[in-house]
Amino acid sequence: MERTPHTTPVIKVKGLTMRFGDRLIQEHIDLSLEPGEIFAVMGGSGSGKSTLLKHLVGLLPPAGGRVLYGDAQGGQGGVTDYWASDEATRQQLRRRVGMLFQSAALWTSMDVLDNVCLPLSLQPEKPSLADQQARAMEVLQWVGLADAARRMPSQLSGGMKKRVGLARAIVAEPAILFLDEPSAGLDPIASRRLDELILDIRERTGAAMLLVSHELPSLMDLADDGIFFDADSKRPIAHGAPKDLCDHAHPTVRAFMRRESLPTPAAA
Amino acid sequence: MRWVGRQWHQRVWVAGLIEPLRFTGELVITAVQAVAGGWQVRRADLLRIVADSSAGALPIVVIVNALVGAILAFVGAVQLVQFGAGIFVADLVSIAVAREMAAVITAVVMAGRTGAAFAAELATMQVNEEVDALKVLGLDPVGYLALPRVLSLMWLLPLLYLFGTMAGVFGGVAVGAGMLSLSPVAYLDRAANAMDWRHLWLGLSKSVVFGGLLAWAGCYQGLRAQRDAAGVGLATTRAVVGSIVGVIVVDAVFAVCANALGV
Repeated sequence: MERTPHTTPVIKVKGLTMRFGDRLIQEHIDLSLEPGEIFAVMGGSGSGKSTLLKHLVGLLPPAGGRVLYGDAQGGQGGVTDYWASDEATRQQLRRRVGMLFQSAALWTSMDVLDNVCLPLSLQPEKPSLADQQARAMEVLQWVGLADAARRMPSQLSGGMKKRVGLARAIVAEPAILFLDEPSAGLDPIASRRLDELILDIRERTGAAMLLVSHELPSLMDLADDGIFFDADSKRPIAHGAPKDLCDHAHPTVRAFMRRESLPTPAAA
Repeated sequence: MRWVGRQWHQRVWVAGLIEPLRFTGELVITAVQAVAGGWQVRRADLLRIVADSSAGALPIVVIVNALVGAILAFVGAVQLVQFGAGIFVADLVSIAVAREMAAVITAVVMAGRTGAAFAAELATMQVNEEVDALKVLGLDPVGYLALPRVLSLMWLLPLLYLFGTMAGVFGGVAVGAGMLSLSPVAYLDRAANAMDWRHLWLGLSKSVVFGGLLAWAGCYQGLRAQRDAAGVGLATTRAVVGSIVGVIVVDAVFAVCANALGV
């Protein structure tokens, strides 16, 4: 997908620094998510990819920098600094976001249908229960799990949980989707099916997506642009679409994208 | 010295005082918002909590209190029989059960059963990112998860206390009839005369406070658990130990106040 130069990014991150207490995770993070774009956050394990999502969606406060939410459709409206806003404004901004967690994070006390209905029940317009369930069934049909509507999460496979999590993330028609390792723990067929579903969602809804993953086939198929976090230097060391990073100058990026071992110091 | 100071600050000041006070404040604020009509809770979840904390707990509460009543009657009888005052076992058991034992024993049983369950459930939700998923939707975990549990136990524990009191008295009846050859009717008549509303109101008042304390401890530890399996175990242990110690401390405060007020 090509970037349109005159649209405002739906999310812009400027100079973000992430810490856990005294421990630095990543710093100097700059990125922008354009309308309808799939933006990949790449890097090795423990480099702070999932932590970035938590900073963008309001679960963790940054140690520095800004998280700016633009107009939901990428128009020329104003931007809002998430962490400088009051709770009411932050709640409004969060309503634009749907999130698929790494473990799907389905609420185990509710069945599949209730899990998918809950985001709808919290909307300001308060749709009736019948309308909520109708919309939830529509989305479950879309992800191929309408027959599992009354099953409990413990009765689902890993792939099914991810699809229910995705249904829950999109049921309220968010403009932005955060996908945290959607293919983690899935077999290649289930992973491929999920990737196709993600592309289908982008096609139908036009949602912008921030994708955290280290699954190379998914990254190559899905992402239009991306950023690469380095766990050693604690900084992003590459920007660009995954397929353009295979010949990157930095050996860590090249090794990651080509699935090669880094040369040992002695061999180097 | 700096390390000692930092440890004291983190473990005693922050973890021991500031964080519990903050959680209590959040609970009070969400309770006020709930009264004003802003309470977001699923009815199905609330009913599940109520059912598990009441009907689910009744058998063990009744059995344990009946045994405690029997033990009290047995120990009392051994002494009172020497003075030909075996019938006063009924007074001893009914007053002790109504004022102290039923409330405390019920609270201790519920701490190990329901308080631990609250801590484990919420800690597991933390591990599975279910609490994060609620926050992303704009739901406050304190109002959505903790407040229903605290309010439920605050009104359910007094009900369990009443059943526990009856069970304790009947435990005493069994010992009175079996050991002292007292007729159950005479025993119960004696017990009814000895027990008055002061004793029951004291026990009920304690039960309300104990219920809030157990649920508070379980929810506090659960929502602050580390996000791993060990964290779930640690949260559960801390909830149970904290609840039991808290119950004993609060009971001591009640004893002093009741004595001062002449109740």
